[in-house]
Amino acid sequence: MEIVHDILKIIQEKGGEIKKTHLMYKANLSHNQMKTYLKELMSNELLEDKFSNKKHTIGITKKGRNFSVRYAQVREFESTFGL
Amino acid sequence: MKIVFTPDWFLNNDVLIEVVSFMVLFLFFIFAIKSYRLSRKKPILYLGIGFLLIAVGELSTLLTKIVLYYDTTVTREIGQAVITYSIVKTVDFFYYLGFFFNRLFTLFGFYFIYKIPAEKKFTGDSLLVSYLLLITAFLSGSIYYLYHLTVLAILVLIIRHNYLNYEEKKLANTKILLVSFILLAISRIFFFFSSIEGFYVLAQSLQLVSYITLFFLIVKILKNGKEKK
Repeated sequence: MEIVHDILKIIQEKGGEIKKTHLMYKANLSHNQMKTYLKELMSNELLEDKFSNKKHTIGITKKGRNFSVRYAQVREFESTFGL
Repeated sequence: MKIVFTPDWFLNNDVLIEVVSFMVLFLFFIFAIKSYRLSRKKPILYLGIGFLLIAVGELSTLLTKIVLYYDTTVTREIGQAVITYSIVKTVDFFYYLGFFFNRLFTLFGFYFIYKIPAEKKFTGDSLLVSYLLLITAFLSGSIYYLYHLTVLAILVLIIRHNYLNYEEKKLANTKILLVSFILLAISRIFFFFSSIEGFYVLAQSLQLVSYITLFFLIVKILKNGKEKK
């Protein structure tokens, strides 16, 4: 779950979309690991493929942004109570 | 024996404080459940159950007080000879049961909140404590300060845990949580002297301030979450 949140956060910090190779580097993931996470995130509609000017990037969806906010709130709640 | 210690002039405020307390506690329960659905961490679920139990306790006393303060049917019927006795008995039992459930749920709720972050699993000791809490809730019907004393003892343990957590991480949110629990603990001390009119009002007011602080905390958590993402 932590890695999922990191991936979403990295994409948001990059303005909502990022190249696959940049994401792999920034999230410190292997190619196979990233493939697995992206498949999972896309099947849950948190991320989507974006194509513009023959460039392929990964974009965060509205659902992905909402998920990221909710997850940050949960983390805040947990740390408040020392859980 | 006196059933409630609320002075006449404070009757409506008393009910209002219970409503606010219930709403804040229920809000914490909702947030904990939503958090659990996302993180699947059991301690969050149990913490939510703890808040729910206290909320149900508040609801129980709220409903009992509403009937006690505003139900005039019973008062009108008290003058009638033979039936009166059984009505009064039933009403007495209803009030007794209402306040008993308030004590029982509140004690178990606070115990849950204390127990969950302190230890990750329930042991045989929990069964013994549950039995003692049940006895406390039962006996407090006649020895009212026993209940407040037990809640105070659990609150001190909760405060200790939160203090250690605050010392370790120095989080502003934990500090707010600590303050609200300290206020709640002080209110319990004032409840000991409920038979003195001013003390009951002071205790209820402190409880209100404590729950408003908790409400402020949940708003802050939601706001910070949005900013951090």
